Amino acid sequence: MNILVFTKRVPATQEEELRIIEEGQGIDLSKVPFKVNDWDNYAVEEAVQIAEKTGGSVTAISIGDAESDEVLRRAIAMGTKDGFLIETEKVLHDPNARATLVSEFLKKEGISYDAIFTGVQSEDDQFAAMGGILSAKLGLPYSSMVIGIDSFEKDHVIARRELEGGLQERIKMTLPCVLSIQSGINEPRYVSIMGIRKASKVERKFFKAKAYGDNISSTIEVVKWVYPPKKGGATMLSGELEGICKDLLGILKEKGVFQ
Amino acid sequence: MLNQTQTRVLTCIQCGKCAGSCPESGRTPFNIRMLMRKKQFQTVVEESIPWYCTSCGACTIRCPRDVKPSEVIIEMRSALVENGEIPVAIQKALENTFVQKNPWGRSRAKRGAWFEKLDVEVPHVRETESKRLLFTCCIQAYDPRCMVIPQNVAKILNMGGIEFGVLGEEEACCGNEIRRIGESGLFEELQEENKAVFEEYGIKEIIALSPHCMNALKKEYGDLGIKISHYTELLAPMIEEGSIVPERPYNKKVIYHDPCFLGKQNGIFDEPRNILKAIEGIELLEFSRCRDNSMCCEGGGGRMFFEVEATYQRNAEMRVQEAVDKGAEIIATCCPFCVMTLEDPATEKGILVRELSEILMEVL
Repeated sequence: MNILVFTKRVPATQEEELRIIEEGQGIDLSKVPFKVNDWDNYAVEEAVQIAEKTGGSVTAISIGDAESDEVLRRAIAMGTKDGFLIETEKVLHDPNARATLVSEFLKKEGISYDAIFTGVQSEDDQFAAMGGILSAKLGLPYSSMVIGIDSFEKDHVIARRELEGGLQERIKMTLPCVLSIQSGINEPRYVSIMGIRKASKVERKFFKAKAYGDNISSTIEVVKWVYPPKKGGATMLSGELEGICKDLLGILKEKGVFQ
Repeated sequence: MLNQTQTRVLTCIQCGKCAGSCPESGRTPFNIRMLMRKKQFQTVVEESIPWYCTSCGACTIRCPRDVKPSEVIIEMRSALVENGEIPVAIQKALENTFVQKNPWGRSRAKRGAWFEKLDVEVPHVRETESKRLLFTCCIQAYDPRCMVIPQNVAKILNMGGIEFGVLGEEEACCGNEIRRIGESGLFEELQEENKAVFEEYGIKEIIALSPHCMNALKKEYGDLGIKISHYTELLAPMIEEGSIVPERPYNKKVIYHDPCFLGKQNGIFDEPRNILKAIEGIELLEFSRCRDNSMCCEGGGGRMFFEVEATYQRNAEMRVQEAVDKGAEIIATCCPFCVMTLEDPATEKGILVRELSEILMEVL
């Protein structure tokens, strides 16, 4: 079984106060650290666990600039056999453009696979669409929100999808297929720095995106970055600590939170 | 060919001095003597066991054969780290440190937030003549309870006319706990990053606010050619010489808790006590286990980031109970981890925990 798994290097924005610059034409990421996309981390772990159980191999693929090699080394340290980087300096926001690029890459390079895993979404763009569009481009069955893989056989996979209301649905899909992996499907292993250093010795293959239609026009254009509109409803308490505590208790009692 | 650790372990005579001094042995499933025995025979150790160690160092200090049991624990943890088989909370702390250079995963860009609204000037160290660096420490840069410590020390140094600077967001975690968790690769990265910044700004002296940072910078960064001290080592002589004068009395019974990384591991027992003794009105009390026999608060060795499986009466609770029994009104210490671990049980018992700089700020 050969599984291709996509992994993306994204800015770690959870703790940052992002600043829009250039009159809405960009975001200041100069001081923001980068990390692996959380959903992709689960996807890589799931693919590696399947390969460990059933045999076969996993190849990690990333689209991005040269720095994205970092997430490939991380994936190799987790257990993927190798890593491919589709190198582009252009930031491809449009999931359609990304999926088109990937489908062209897979066809042109003649890469064989039994399944393709993506994360459900990426933390930066949050389109949650690349897996679905890619499956359409490749003419393959697709499932989103995969929260469990019960069996991975030669010709089919039985997976569980996460639904609203705490339900899951068990589905059967023929291989090859595309699965978008939900976070929480497993517990991704810790990857040590020593492990990443060792992974650096494993060869990664670098491909130039422009060879596969990097000039594919985007169907979505980012017009401007904006902050969400400010809403009312928050009360800021100020003054001395004792006064603030009294005010807070008063509010909590008034709202019935504290009796 | 045996590695150095295994060679050392084979010299263990099972005297039990390690277990006798260990804050975990006998009360949790962790038995350091038994672990050394298992290591001698290379038998399997259950994965959760090495994570009980608080890295207080008592076993290593007391071992008559220089087996260095606490270092053996680090190697056992390293093997688990390399296999990725570690508690999730520890994993998060390591991943946070990799990304944001602090175990709590707070924004690196906000590492200097503690001095932004301070009423004394805190320059970047590059702008100082002395090239004296105040090394903040992660928990003191971000945790609202501990943020007051660098703020206080900055004010006190300012009062005493001591020039210093900071690195702000250029400071990375010292790596003391990271090394003890067993992530040697990450520790090396942090060490290299900090060393490069020290070199870039020509740092001549470092005042560490946390004993954990002081320990790493002093003993585990190699020879930096930089004078490294804990802030109490600087303040004690300043008070003695009169460059800062505690003017107001502090009429309280204060019991001093020795942090492991300041006291038993680095021999700094008298400076904090001398500071307290110089304050009028303080009745200084001592724990039955004090100085090099001080009981660990269980905040070291990565234990700040996760809870062990076993339930037992925590050392901090026992420590607070003894303080209450001795009639203390205040538990004083000078380590942010000790403050954090002691404060919860202390609040329950109605006794206060004060970091040394907090007491000083009330009397200066």
